Amino acid sequence: MITFPPPVVAKHSPKALPIGLAGAGLVIVGSLFSWSYDPQVLGDLSIALNPGGLQIMAIALALLAVILLLAHKGPLAALGQWADTERGIHALADWTLIFMTLVVVGITAQAGGLINVEPGCWISFLGAVLLFLASRLVLAKKSRDLAEAVLPGWVEILVIVVIMAALLFGTAYALGIADAWVFVLFLVFVTGMAIAGTRAGLLSWLGHISLRRKRELILAAFAVAFCFPLTQGGSDANMSIASQVLVFAAAAMGLNIVVGLAGLLDLGYIAFLGSGAYVGATLSTSGFATIGWKPPFFVVVIVAACFTATLGLIIGAPTLRVSGDYLAIVTLGFGEIFRLTMFNLDGNNGPDLTHGPNGIPAIPDLTFGSFNFGDTHILLGIPIARFSNYYLLLLLLLAFIILVFHRLNTSRIGRGWVAIREDEKAAEAMGVNVFGLKLLAFATGAFLAGMAGAIKAHQDVSVTPDQYIFLESAFLLAAIVLGGMGTIVGVLVGAVILKLLPEKLRFFADYRLLLFGLLLVLMMRFRPEGIVASRRRQLEFHEEDEELAVRVEGDIAEEAQA
Amino acid sequence: MDTFIQQLINGLSLGSLYALIAVGYTVVYGILQLINFAHGEVFMIGAFGALTTSLVLFNGNTALWTLPIMILGAIIASVTTAVLMERFAYRPLRNAPRLAPLITAIGISVFLQELVRLNYNGIPQLNFNPFNLPDAKSIIPFPPIDVVTGPAIQVGGVTIQREAIFTIGALVVCSALLWWFINHTKTGHGMQAVSQDQDTARLMGINVDRIIVVAFALGAALAAVAGVCQGLQNHNINFRMGFLAGLKAFVAAVLGGIGNIAGAVVGGLVLGVVESMATQYIPGQFGGSPWKDVWAFTLLILVLVFRPQGLLGEKAVDRA
Repeated sequence: MITFPPPVVAKHSPKALPIGLAGAGLVIVGSLFSWSYDPQVLGDLSIALNPGGLQIMAIALALLAVILLLAHKGPLAALGQWADTERGIHALADWTLIFMTLVVVGITAQAGGLINVEPGCWISFLGAVLLFLASRLVLAKKSRDLAEAVLPGWVEILVIVVIMAALLFGTAYALGIADAWVFVLFLVFVTGMAIAGTRAGLLSWLGHISLRRKRELILAAFAVAFCFPLTQGGSDANMSIASQVLVFAAAAMGLNIVVGLAGLLDLGYIAFLGSGAYVGATLSTSGFATIGWKPPFFVVVIVAACFTATLGLIIGAPTLRVSGDYLAIVTLGFGEIFRLTMFNLDGNNGPDLTHGPNGIPAIPDLTFGSFNFGDTHILLGIPIARFSNYYLLLLLLLAFIILVFHRLNTSRIGRGWVAIREDEKAAEAMGVNVFGLKLLAFATGAFLAGMAGAIKAHQDVSVTPDQYIFLESAFLLAAIVLGGMGTIVGVLVGAVILKLLPEKLRFFADYRLLLFGLLLVLMMRFRPEGIVASRRRQLEFHEEDEELAVRVEGDIAEEAQA
Repeated sequence: MDTFIQQLINGLSLGSLYALIAVGYTVVYGILQLINFAHGEVFMIGAFGALTTSLVLFNGNTALWTLPIMILGAIIASVTTAVLMERFAYRPLRNAPRLAPLITAIGISVFLQELVRLNYNGIPQLNFNPFNLPDAKSIIPFPPIDVVTGPAIQVGGVTIQREAIFTIGALVVCSALLWWFINHTKTGHGMQAVSQDQDTARLMGINVDRIIVVAFALGAALAAVAGVCQGLQNHNINFRMGFLAGLKAFVAAVLGGIGNIAGAVVGGLVLGVVESMATQYIPGQFGGSPWKDVWAFTLLILVLVFRPQGLLGEKAVDRA
């Protein structure tokens, strides 16, 4: 029987709780009234007692604040001893204030003038200010180690189910948002919730659960992903975006093996996706295909993957001996050579293989037996249209790539890669076959990209050289770095953010690349380990953090037990 | 024979451009072991700085005396960009793993390109354009300068563009100044010391941060000159010009041996000559200008495989 130490509760300003509760209450009350006169502004926020999307978000923020406040010192203190409520309240109050300020700015900008902001919005805004002030009065206290917080198994599984449902609902909602302001505010809401959760230790508790319940979590995640087309009610517009996100995510996951596991910086990875796509296109039944051999699609996928892997070997064999930065430049050079070659093989400057800048258009949809990917099929009474079909196929591919990634990562090969990444010389001295393993990483990454490319060719209908420019490689790399190098969840998150954001921020169409550049710089400056960092990675970036080192050891021990 | 000399001169003028940019990569790499991928953008901003100076101050005046002022304008624009970039993006990452500054560089590169594309003519949404500058979303004509641009000179069967002479001359002058700066000034000696051993240099009382800023500024100044040369040669500039030029210049720097300043100049010239010779002498469909970039990158890969330290680099380089 483990005896818990008594909870340590520090002194606490007596004013913080009432002010904070009053603030949160005002946010909620204000959200029940109308925020603007005009039903066209920021979704519809004009009807009292019928909160719109943004108002529900404000209420959710306020409710979380109430829970954290009461847990800090109040009736829920038993819960509070586990969570770092002080930092959670701080972050939550900051983001609630940012959220409400942006709402006011958004209404002002869209409806033309501050006069359009209704009293309800001002009440909520005042509440956010109060909450912010109260959060500054909350004092720090120590919380207990969350690894000890073990709930009954069914509760943990319930938590996973609830989170997955929220994820599904949230994604469907986010994709359905037409107004760019609402989308930005939704992002602010999600970010605020996530940061408050992280600060309060909620996410690290979820991390512990996910370590213990890995299998259930993965199953739930894929179940949710498979259910996603069903939430779209037959509309294919969002599925087109979603299937592009999946191609991007599959490629990013392949690159993650090369960069994240083996630590080889590849700046020309898009060329592998491109060569897969070109093989898929030239062997398809398109009237513009230049090769007469028309094998069935699963053969094409294998051929594309093998061809691309061979290409990877050809590039890798001579260059993997030079290390570090040079490899980055060689791969970048290779990426450019690929693009230029595809551009030039148009019959005038070389044999006519790719039709040069025009590319290979009119690639027909895939067919497996009598199942045509271009047709609409009915599943559970809901029509599944063209992009949904590709979405499901790509989901299978992504699952396969993740499986490969995971199995390699936890195998002898994966250990070898990590050793090479950390210290190549030491790895070699310990008998790791450095060159062979590097080559294997390169070829595996290329193989997977080739498979993704062959499907992408059919999904995109045409293949042209300008789809495979350097910027695309940079985007892939950015997805990995942004999400968290060497992690699965992180890279998926990074890929979704980088592909979904530009699609949804058409409002900022002109400025999205500018923001992308800025985002990369800021990310490297303030959180170089990525959004979802693997602990070991995090330690590399914060070497002096002793506490983190202890936690990493604890995690490794827990993982070994599970 | 005439064709050969013709291509040699074309190659040298192209190579001079690469060499001027390559010095920026090599100086920074020599000190920080950092590939400043955004250096191509510094070059581009130099060209835009010169254009702006010409448009704002001279308004169509093409006299020769405006050229030095244009170059000065280019240098101010480039150096400011490079110094700000070092201060706010690279310096906080000084001790981070190597991947971090590389990603930052890609970010800066995209950011600067987009900034010029969208905001060269002020803030169009607010009709804010105090100097009446043109829209940079497409190619912008670069003003000609008397004497430096104009009808080509014929020597025997060889045509020599005036801009080519200017570019090669610029490289000669800049190299001489750079050589003098590195070898005969206190700061130059400091740079050598820092590139050999940063910690020891600091112990000897050298302000390493300042030296690093100087390295960035020096590279930026030469890139600005290259920007002006490019503008004069092509008669136009655009916001994308930095990417390929920067990449080629990097190839040149690696070719010569990265970290070695003389190597960057030699590498640039060799790359330029190889490119124009490849255009002329590779027979069949794979010759000609569509393939010249392919040959340049192939050369890079061959050099890295067979002589990773570059033409003038020292042996036993291990850049892990």
